[in-house]
Amino acid sequence: MRPGDVFGFSAQSLAAHPSRTALTMLAISIGVAAVVVLTALGEAARTYVIDQFSSLGSHLLIVFPGRTETSGTFPGALTGATPRDLTLDDALSLARERTVRRVAPLTIGSALVSWGRRSREGAVLGSRLQRWEIRHFAMAQGRFLPALDARQARPVVVLGSVVRDELFGPANAVGEWVRIGERRYRVAGVLAPQGQSLGFNTDELVIVPVASAQALFNQASLLRVLVEARSREDIAAAKQAVIETLKARHEGEQDVTVVTQDALLATFDRILRALTLAVGGIAAISLAVAGILIMNVMLIAVSQRTREIGLLKALGATPAQIRRLFFAEALLLSVAGALAGLVLGEAGSYAIGKLYPMLPVVAPAWAAGAALATALATGVVFTAVPARRAARLDPVLALYRR
Amino acid sequence: MRARDAFDLSLGALRAHRLRSVLTALGIAVGIAAVILLTSIGAGIHQFVVSEFTQFGTNLIEINPGKAKTHGAAVGMFGIVRPLGLEDAQALRHAAGVEAVVPVVQGNAEVRAAGRTRRTAVLGVNAAFPDVFRYRVATGRFLPADDETTARSLAVLGSKLRAELYGAENPLGSRIRIGGARYRVVGVMQPKGQMLGFDLDDVVYIPAARSLEMFNRESLMAIDVSYRAGASPERVVASLRAILMQRHGREDFTVTPQKQMLDTLGSVLDVLTFAVGALGGISLLVGAVGIVTITTIAVSERAAEIGLLRALGARRAQVMAIFLGEAMLLAALGGAAGLALGAGLGQALRLALPALPVHTPWDFVVLAEAAAVGIGLVAGALPARRAARLDPVEALRAE
Repeated sequence: MRPGDVFGFSAQSLAAHPSRTALTMLAISIGVAAVVVLTALGEAARTYVIDQFSSLGSHLLIVFPGRTETSGTFPGALTGATPRDLTLDDALSLARERTVRRVAPLTIGSALVSWGRRSREGAVLGSRLQRWEIRHFAMAQGRFLPALDARQARPVVVLGSVVRDELFGPANAVGEWVRIGERRYRVAGVLAPQGQSLGFNTDELVIVPVASAQALFNQASLLRVLVEARSREDIAAAKQAVIETLKARHEGEQDVTVVTQDALLATFDRILRALTLAVGGIAAISLAVAGILIMNVMLIAVSQRTREIGLLKALGATPAQIRRLFFAEALLLSVAGALAGLVLGEAGSYAIGKLYPMLPVVAPAWAAGAALATALATGVVFTAVPARRAARLDPVLALYRR
Repeated sequence: MRARDAFDLSLGALRAHRLRSVLTALGIAVGIAAVILLTSIGAGIHQFVVSEFTQFGTNLIEINPGKAKTHGAAVGMFGIVRPLGLEDAQALRHAAGVEAVVPVVQGNAEVRAAGRTRRTAVLGVNAAFPDVFRYRVATGRFLPADDETTARSLAVLGSKLRAELYGAENPLGSRIRIGGARYRVVGVMQPKGQMLGFDLDDVVYIPAARSLEMFNRESLMAIDVSYRAGASPERVVASLRAILMQRHGREDFTVTPQKQMLDTLGSVLDVLTFAVGALGGISLLVGAVGIVTITTIAVSERAAEIGLLRALGARRAQVMAIFLGEAMLLAALGGAAGLALGAGLGQALRLALPALPVHTPWDFVVLAEAAAVGIGLVAGALPARRAARLDPVEALRAE
């Protein structure tokens, strides 16, 4: 029998039982679609997180005050104070390094922000982010903090959209004086609403120059210093330089932790990749269940078509040819089911992407390929037993039995 | 036809095609096993996290400076215009139902003793700390109940720090330098282990007033309050709030009962467990499609039998009941096998990976079995209806 004949024969026998064929295809397509959609979601989460980090700028180093020698501690656990402050001068001294392009000191605190008779407790971020292009900080009105020397405590403020709405209501905010704690600041601009971003709800943020925040909270220490290296190759050298400089400034004591953005990213990348794989694997269990169903249906087909097989054998078909017939049927079934599942999965991913525009939901090619390959493999593997059973039928007995 | 006869008929039909029935049930079994195993892991992690947090006791209330929060953490810990002071902590001792009050300042400093140095976490607390957080002293004693604003320079070591700095020597009574200032060691704590990546034994405890000085801060980072077991937490919170309002003139602090934190955490973990279970449910769905397929095939194979039953006077509802019963029986058997498989895998996992918490909740088991039977009912409905609608004359002719 030629391959074309084999497939034609199998296609006919599938078409003879439309509801059975459709249901088996449905089972396979559910499994494939689940794998595609779930890995698409996992990939989306991964690219989203990495995008968020990368939007701070590339080649970034983050300097935390404090250091512990217990290994494996996530740097976020270092929240406490240190006897020797990580000061603004420390941060600015880092900018003089050859490998460092720019430095952004950060500090944060909580204070009451008020205008007229309205007031609200807000998270006050002290920064020098003026020219540090951070994508999230789109302005709704006015402008961002003016470019000035980091040591200058100019009384200007940029409000998050929620803070602005609650304090000013319909009134105009830009140019007004607000009171933060015991000091007065002029509103330079209002941030466009953008919601949660890496744990900071920027809509509820109040941003002032870093020196102003330090004066406001009466503290000399910084929360973090962001350092950008000149190029990718300079990251390691910059990390070394930052540690050396701060050690020299801190009387020979290394009391800071420096984390490279790459290391942080790699950790997240690893975790999210593992998660995607696990979720895809769980979904793939359903493909095994579909495989069991294929086996079952094929077994039934073998017993229903005993006479047909007997006739084929009596006409001189070899066992290998009989086997090939059933494998062709299983292949056709699983290819059709998997293709339907792919279409379903892509449609689902597209729909989710439309519902949550911020998530770039696209199924990775490897996942679609893997789902397809798994579907085909399960189809063939689970047909082995029924095909063998068919091939072993004794033609005389098969024809005799009805 | 009696119910028993219908049941026997279903069972007989299943028995007649043993391999087919086993495979169909296997589909459901794999699905149920996946759901049970995944929810067991989810529930185990839930229990683990809750016990991590409740190891410090359950009647705790934390007060942080500042009202603004981002990402669950009070920003006021880092900087605050209106500090939460030692005097505030002392005043809270008089609130209704309060047992003990601990001011907390957390930091990081270099500790130097016996010629060795180590950077470690520094916790500024007071004498009530071991009682409130259920810590035990191994040797010596904890910080004495000094006047908190002028506490003496005494220090207590965590077990890991003690091992790193002193090795086998006895640290009690020796001098130690913490962040450049001199302290005397009065005690060593028992090991407490790790919590969410933070080593609770690599730490040194000093009086809160001393740590405020060391870190040049005005404000405490937190005040932790333990209340009497019988007291109502709402009343304690209200009383704490009233006292602080009186002292500060307005609400510039955040009061978080531990219960509230645990509830939030619990609901997040419940959602996660549910989501993971739903992932396993996809397999169950495929298993259900399997039942539909097999029952559909059975109906067309047994058209003659159905025709005969109908000709003998069986009503449509009875024919339907036979096929529904078959589907449900298949699903129930598969479900039971799946339960055994899932629970067994869970136990095996617990033996193989003792670090991974696995806990099979019994209500899930019952729910899963009920779900399996329900799936059989739904999956069998369409083919059973088709069987019931068969015209007896046509069906008999199909022979």
